[in-house]
Amino acid sequence: MRHFAVELEELNQALLEMGGLVESSIHCSVQALVDRDERMARRVIEDERRINQMELDVDARVTRLLALNQPVARDLRLLIMALKINTDLERMGDLAVNMAERAISLSKVPPVKPLVDTPRMASLVEDMLHRSLDAFVKRDATLAAQVLPADDEVDSLRDKIYSELLELMQLNPTVVPAAIHLMFVARNLERIADHTTNIAEDVIFLVRGVDVRHHATENRV
Amino acid sequence: MRHFEQELEQLKGKLLEMSALVEAAVQRSVAAVAQKDRSAADQVFRDEERINALEMEIDEFAINLLATQQPLAADLRLVVAALKINTDLERMGDLSVTIAERAISLLSEPVIKPMMDIRHMSALVESMVRKSLDAFVANDADMARSVLASDDAVDSLRTASYHELISYMEKDPQNIPQALDLIGITRSLERIADHSTNIAEDVLFLVKGIDVRHHSEVR
Repeated sequence: MRHFAVELEELNQALLEMGGLVESSIHCSVQALVDRDERMARRVIEDERRINQMELDVDARVTRLLALNQPVARDLRLLIMALKINTDLERMGDLAVNMAERAISLSKVPPVKPLVDTPRMASLVEDMLHRSLDAFVKRDATLAAQVLPADDEVDSLRDKIYSELLELMQLNPTVVPAAIHLMFVARNLERIADHTTNIAEDVIFLVRGVDVRHHATENRV
Repeated sequence: MRHFEQELEQLKGKLLEMSALVEAAVQRSVAAVAQKDRSAADQVFRDEERINALEMEIDEFAINLLATQQPLAADLRLVVAALKINTDLERMGDLSVTIAERAISLLSEPVIKPMMDIRHMSALVESMVRKSLDAFVANDADMARSVLASDDAVDSLRTASYHELISYMEKDPQNIPQALDLIGITRSLERIADHSTNIAEDVLFLVKGIDVRHHSEVR
């Protein structure tokens, strides 16, 4: 049997690779939206199959490691966390595909407004994803804790985008269908940020043994 | 009965308790919308704490089960599925809270359209929640498949309601804020249906050993 540590390292690499692909899907779906680039959006949709395949692969790895090594204590928690991160990443991939589909619909109609806050929101979210996965592979709770405040910034950008779009719709009802697509893009980015927050909270739990899920911000170390 | 089987039964019992809470939360959140019932929304907010506490309790229980019993093969897959189902159920609870919050913002407004489609959608979704968990507890592949079939029905209801709401908004800008809330509500119901579908897919994997995730043609 191969050494547990080696297999864990391979699992880390698999999650990082998946995270990299998800990050690029988020980036490209928003870039496709801004550049009205249908081809780029189609690439995101094609990449979903690879992300889905990676999800199945990570699940299989974890189940095998649980069966063969029967880990206890921290190693066991680490594997359970990998399962959860895997679910979060796959869902982020879905949300990126949803944004890419909306980018395609929007590329066929006149632009509603210049997109400034949406790409800003996307780069914040990509950074959160990157840092939360980094925190996971380094088992670094301090790094993980730094992800959490960005979530509030993402929420306030979403609120700003919502109210601007609402105003545009009320002034000109013909933009309603397009504006709703843009609202959902902002909402999807906010959901992706929530998933990265889940990962960061799991890392804090793993390292410090404190469960910060379902607690108010004052408990977020 | 082996000690492990007893603990497995306990784990299933906890998941059933959680799914009953989630099912009630979905039902109450929609009642809060359709009947303008504030107390139903408040009950959803109160139950969220219990659902969150149960999520953590179930995670701990499953992890302890893995640590102390070291299950293999089918038993191991069952515990792993329980962990995934737990995550799905908690998220459904969150989505009910989102619906209840929108219900509160709709309380003071005159309704722009009858809520029949939302009720219809929610009845379907509640039955998906119940059936997916029943399928898990009873290892029932047929019941799991029936959940997958309902998911398509929910999607078409949602699409129909979406187009209808867009036309309300285009007709009269005053309808926009309320129509956006209603679009959000149908979107949340659709997501709850998706989570039930995840659970049903996990059950099919457990019972038949085939992974139907990401393979719609196998359905």
